[in-house]
Amino acid sequence: MNKLYGRLFLMPGLLTLLAIIIFPLFFTIALTFSNWSVANAGFNWVGGRNWTDIVSNERFWDAMMRLIPLSFLTVAIQYVLGFSIALIAWRGIAARRFFRVLWLVPMMTTPVVMSVVWKSIFNESVGPVNDVLMKLGMDPVPWLSSTTPAMFAIIMAEVWQWTPFMFLLLLAGLLSLPKEPFLAASIDGAGPLRTFFKVTLPMMAPVSIGAIIIRLIEASKIFDTVYAMTNGGPGSSTETPTYYIYLTGLRNFDLANGATMSITYLLVFIALLTVIGQVLSRLSKPKGI
Amino acid sequence: MIIKRVLVTAFVSLWSIFVLMPLLWALVTSFKSPAAVENGATYIPFLEFQPELTGWSNIFGGGGATTNLIPPLMNSIVVTLCAALISLALGTITSYGLSRYLYKAGFIKNQDIIFFFISQRIMPPIVLSFPFFLMLKALGLLDTRSGLVLVSIAGLMPIVVWLMVDFFNGIPKELDEMAMLEGYSPFEVFGRVILPLAAPGLTVAGMFAVIFGWNDFFYPLILTFGQVVTLPVAIVSLNATITPYWTLSAAAIFAILPLIAFAFAIERFLSKGSLSGAVR
Amino acid sequence: MLDIQGVSASFNGEVFLKDITLQAEPGHIYVLLGRTGAGKSSLMRAVGGLLPLDAGTIHFAGEDITQKPVWKRDAALVYQQFINYPNKTVRANVEFPLRKLKLSRVELNLRVDTYLKKVGLFDFANRRPSQLSGGQQQRVALARSLARQSKILMLDEPLMNLDFKLREQLREEFLDLVSVGSQAVTFYATTEITEAMMLGYQVVVMHEGSILQIGSPSEVFESPRNTLVAQIVNDPPMTLIQARVTEGNFVLGSDLTIPLPVHLRNLGDGEYTFGIRANDLVPAVDSAASESCSIQFVEVSGSETVLYVTSPSGEMVVQLEGIHDFSAGGKIELEISAERLFAFDHLGDLLIAPGIGVK
Repeated sequence: MNKLYGRLFLMPGLLTLLAIIIFPLFFTIALTFSNWSVANAGFNWVGGRNWTDIVSNERFWDAMMRLIPLSFLTVAIQYVLGFSIALIAWRGIAARRFFRVLWLVPMMTTPVVMSVVWKSIFNESVGPVNDVLMKLGMDPVPWLSSTTPAMFAIIMAEVWQWTPFMFLLLLAGLLSLPKEPFLAASIDGAGPLRTFFKVTLPMMAPVSIGAIIIRLIEASKIFDTVYAMTNGGPGSSTETPTYYIYLTGLRNFDLANGATMSITYLLVFIALLTVIGQVLSRLSKPKGI
Repeated sequence: MIIKRVLVTAFVSLWSIFVLMPLLWALVTSFKSPAAVENGATYIPFLEFQPELTGWSNIFGGGGATTNLIPPLMNSIVVTLCAALISLALGTITSYGLSRYLYKAGFIKNQDIIFFFISQRIMPPIVLSFPFFLMLKALGLLDTRSGLVLVSIAGLMPIVVWLMVDFFNGIPKELDEMAMLEGYSPFEVFGRVILPLAAPGLTVAGMFAVIFGWNDFFYPLILTFGQVVTLPVAIVSLNATITPYWTLSAAAIFAILPLIAFAFAIERFLSKGSLSGAVR
Repeated sequence: MLDIQGVSASFNGEVFLKDITLQAEPGHIYVLLGRTGAGKSSLMRAVGGLLPLDAGTIHFAGEDITQKPVWKRDAALVYQQFINYPNKTVRANVEFPLRKLKLSRVELNLRVDTYLKKVGLFDFANRRPSQLSGGQQQRVALARSLARQSKILMLDEPLMNLDFKLREQLREEFLDLVSVGSQAVTFYATTEITEAMMLGYQVVVMHEGSILQIGSPSEVFESPRNTLVAQIVNDPPMTLIQARVTEGNFVLGSDLTIPLPVHLRNLGDGEYTFGIRANDLVPAVDSAASESCSIQFVEVSGSETVLYVTSPSGEMVVQLEGIHDFSAGGKIELEISAERLFAFDHLGDLLIAPGIGVK
């Protein structure tokens, strides 16, 4: 009797999710063994050909490698900034409603719409950034027509969008910390810097790791920003894996290759995630606290 | 310490300016005439340029412009609300089960099932995009609201489950037992006893679902072609040909405004302490 | 009648109930007495349908309810940790179960009012449980269960989480509330012997999932079936010592020999386990029939002093009236009131109890 009701509660949601996820996932995997494209619509088995081909797909691996600086930098900046703001808010400074709402707004806005706004901001001829730079006597920067500045612009848009998310998570973590260690530290005469590095930071380790991992995951999926701001350009120098796969599979309709890249991407993603998770948790193991 | 005060104030100010800047820029630009945009950056209305409503009328189809953002807005509203409601319903029922019953299928247990749900948010959407495309095509659901709702559920249900399982775990199981002893069947217990108690959690989960659903860009991009475009897709497509920044900015502000209002609502909700009670 | 036959339950290797057999009649209170983990809660949950059984059957009024789902059994349970519906008022709390009883509006309201008055919370009807004290919350839970007038009523150590004074006060009210005019089979679980003695029509002594003895309070107290039961029903614990019977004498160790008291005359020669209650050990007056003991631990509670001592024959527990000035490390001479000795055989089963005669 118990079991019956248990199943009745679980099944609708679980089955729906399984149907929407598992079947497509296997289909994608199957696609990697086909040659489905505009020329060969439909499923034709070609064995592991796509898998050997992908090793030499430079553009794909460039995109993958690009993720490293892109996501790590973005998340690192978000973490430092978000933590700083969280620390300030934690002490009750700037506790006024205006600030709280303001700092919440970016992560609630539609990322892709904001990317369009950032594009207008970084516009090389009529955007305010170059305007201010020129007024300050500096040279205008080719923001969106040159690789490194373009990456910078993308990172800035991402930082703007998601630092509030870090801020919220870290603030919640700070608020749940016990007061005793801080009292002890102040009795011991520790200054603010020392307290931060020896007390606050270690205690915030689990929350920090969780927040960083969540954001790394999301940052690795970047698509919206790239689509709106640079279209992967100039050339293909700001392409992220998702963007390139999108082009391949859904613009050029080369589903077989697109699927192969997707699965490769997924596998690397999972592998890296596991490794990073392990490394971070080992780093945070208390060293005799 | 004065230095500390100064530093903190400076930091807070800088950050606040940084946050405000893109929004203000878009707001100001939305009132510019084409000339005011194309001749270099201008900042202060009335001083450096005369504000106009060209951009704003353009986004509603005025002045011979071909874009009207009202239909995409409607699409966004309908799709988001439907997807959020369905995900909330399905997700909550599933979470209740995961909280109250111990499942076991071979070596798969509750924790594993929960992980399965959460892992759906980890997986990059691109991996499922091809099958989704083909599936919806086969079902004739490409470029339809139903198709979008269906696909959105896959992304929103995990969020609901993740939040609600924790929340249900915070409600003592003894309440369930008590109600059952008092003659209520498990469904009645869920609906009449536990669900009312779960209201705060449901609200939070609902808000998250709506936000994530509304801001979704990828799936609407690849699964619609003009019939049932959602707001984000409509706005970005303005970007494609020429870039009329006055129109774009107006469109951006138009899209962002409801979300800012929402941010006010959420902040109110959070500061009432409701959140700390909801996510126990 | 509630008829429980051979009920066993376990989960993940942990055994909760072992072959429980018990019959209970309506209109009486059956006290489940035992230590924490004895199986009292498990038994009640099994009766309520909340615990899946590995074996055994439960019948009520002739009907087999073993497979009946929880919400179809007519059983009420009052928990140890006062639980009420937090988002309903006191009145709504009591009303909630009554809605399932198909009563008329008038009847329902009457019942709610009656029971609210019975527990003394009529004036608090519109408050939420969070606005009430612990004792009041427990009374709401009680009213909710009693108002149902269910055929089975179970209370799981309901007074345990209340402070001492409140417990005493409620215990009295309790008996009235639960027994007067009640037609329910009532189970009351407790670890406290006083409660068992006061409330029980029958006491069911449980230990580690099994029932050790069922009997009236005086039966269980005066004739504990074995040493285990004796330990459960005595607080402070009964002192158990090994001794011999030789030629009509009670011989303890090498230096204490006294003639067998009247009630033990029928014991043959041999080794036995003897038990003596803590308040039947007295400071010695006549040093010939006494044991020299050294004090390990002194406990003063209420208006009594309890001494934990060691003697040449083993450990003993003594309870003395009044507050005395003893301290650990000191010495005391103790005399065994021989006429209060219990005799158990080598298996621990009761042979002879004082004051009643052979079991």
